[in-house]
Amino acid sequence: MMFNGVEIMTPILLAALGGLFAEMAGVLNIALEGLILIGAFTGILVAAATGSLAVGMVAAAVAGGVLAGLLAWVTSRLKANIFIAGLAVNLLAAGMIPFLSTWMFGTKGVLRFPDLPRMPRLLVGVHTGLPLLDDLLFGHSVTVYLAWLTAVIAAVLLYRTPFGLRLRATGARAESAVVSGVNAVRYRSIAIVVSGVAAGLAGSTISLRLGVYLPNISAGRGWIALVAIYLGYRTPLGIVIAALLFGLTDSLAGAAQGFLNIPGTILLGLPYAITVIAMIFYSALRSTKPRRRRRRIDAHF
Amino acid sequence: MTYSRLNRHFTICIAVALLATTALPLAALGSRETPDDAQFRIAVFVPGVVEGSPTYEMLVAGVRRAAEERPGTEVRVIEGGFNQAQWPQSMTALAASGEHDLIVTSNPSMPEIADEVSQSFPNQRFLVLDGYLSGNPSVATVLFNQREQAFLSGYFAGLVSSSSMPNARPGARAGLLAGQEYPIMNRVIRPAFQLGLQSVEPSGQVDFRVLGNWFDAAAATELANSMIDTGADVILTIAGGGNQGVIAAARTKGAYVLWYDSSGYDEAAGIVIGSTLVRLDRAAHQRVLQAIDGTLEFGRGEVLGVADGFVDFDTEHRLFQRDVPEAVRNRLAAMIQRLRTSDLVLEMPTQF
Repeated sequence: MMFNGVEIMTPILLAALGGLFAEMAGVLNIALEGLILIGAFTGILVAAATGSLAVGMVAAAVAGGVLAGLLAWVTSRLKANIFIAGLAVNLLAAGMIPFLSTWMFGTKGVLRFPDLPRMPRLLVGVHTGLPLLDDLLFGHSVTVYLAWLTAVIAAVLLYRTPFGLRLRATGARAESAVVSGVNAVRYRSIAIVVSGVAAGLAGSTISLRLGVYLPNISAGRGWIALVAIYLGYRTPLGIVIAALLFGLTDSLAGAAQGFLNIPGTILLGLPYAITVIAMIFYSALRSTKPRRRRRRIDAHF
Repeated sequence: MTYSRLNRHFTICIAVALLATTALPLAALGSRETPDDAQFRIAVFVPGVVEGSPTYEMLVAGVRRAAEERPGTEVRVIEGGFNQAQWPQSMTALAASGEHDLIVTSNPSMPEIADEVSQSFPNQRFLVLDGYLSGNPSVATVLFNQREQAFLSGYFAGLVSSSSMPNARPGARAGLLAGQEYPIMNRVIRPAFQLGLQSVEPSGQVDFRVLGNWFDAAAATELANSMIDTGADVILTIAGGGNQGVIAAARTKGAYVLWYDSSGYDEAAGIVIGSTLVRLDRAAHQRVLQAIDGTLEFGRGEVLGVADGFVDFDTEHRLFQRDVPEAVRNRLAAMIQRLRTSDLVLEMPTQF
């Protein structure tokens, strides 16, 4: 269960980490779903053409970045509303891919690439004697480790570099950042592009692992990634925990169908129910924090 | 040009794109295939989209073939899309237009919709495939015997599981992945699949899982992984696009996949080792010809199965011949023969 949960969380984690950059810069990027689709499509096409999964993943990241760059351009330069523009990107991806697919392959249905290399697995056969830890850490496809690594890089970039400081300043109070000499527009644009790169990469992890592209392959993972950002307290570590929570509950719901005598349709709601409960818990926690702080200040004086 | 004007232009572009997205499917209500002096007009209402769906491709192909054989017949294909809530409205609009002598459609939920629409438009005739309704003089239905179809799948799964094939594992635990739960799945397909499995291995168990949709292949992979991990060596997948995820899991973990409704061997050679068939194209062709000739009996629900030649198992495909041992093929052929000659009768329920 843990092993499958880690695999399930990977695209969500990657997209959410990218979305975190945009969120930190003060932009809620609702285009993650469309960017994942673009990444899934581009990644598998390029991987099939070159015979290299790595090249496919790079191409997916570039495609996501370019489309996100377009989003950044229309919102920063043309002052388009970010939600409308994000929605347009989602619609564009959903409409453009079937068009390209029909044009290139004569179908807007399933694209199969049977000769595609299989996604390599790392640390296979490594054991610590603790099954849960083994399932968490070892034997996963390379994309899982890429996602872990991305989380570390995101944490370092956001909290240990001047770039991260300026980015967070842009999101927290753009006017103050501008007064301090930070080009807020540029930082917001960079953050949106980073979110596109990560979402594109997330898409490629889905299609390359399956070896096929099919319509709606993202299956709402872009939206779940947005939830994971808030569920994870807008921190890389929190997002890792939120994505893992979602992956584990999803895996648990799937596995439970095999041994519990409860209709599968009911069990499928489990990840979402737990997400809602966690969100309520999170909101309650946040609302009590300022009150506690106020009480401490009152007690001090 | 100022940014605000550009912004306005951008907003207009978005609005046009949105309008185009919603209006185009309505505008693309199929192309007329014969001149306006057609003597018999048929509308094929596809509850979904044709491309990528073998079932609907067969439906359209069958109707078109019938139209070609009867000059003066016009066929329009209308794709209803995936929003099920829109289907009654679209069917009502079709019937209200009064332009069609016959509306042909296919889906278990469509008889009910046709029944409802016919209350307002009693002169409109409907032919619904893959569904059942009896007693409405405007509606003719054809239901395929999915009990036989699922039984054959289960029987074959049992044969494979107890064979010496490389991925077969002792224990006779077969998987069944459904896109969603629906009455025929729960009351017909699942029990019949188990019955077929237990006809070979009395202790055989079906590991039944639900995907929750018809497209999430990544989630289907994880469900199939879980099924294989708990002992399933053959998985029957009825999950639309999710089927691709089952193939990916079976390829990685070493298991077999069974296809449903259409021949699926070419989807993954050596992985997909069995396919049951529903001859929906043949049913559409024959019943539409009868409708054009005025011999189709409305108000009646038909059930067609293996003995009628409308439900079958694709045993002719070269990959089936190559990958499945002769002993397994022979035992399956014997079972199909029993169904064909009605030596074994598995009645399909019509009330759910």
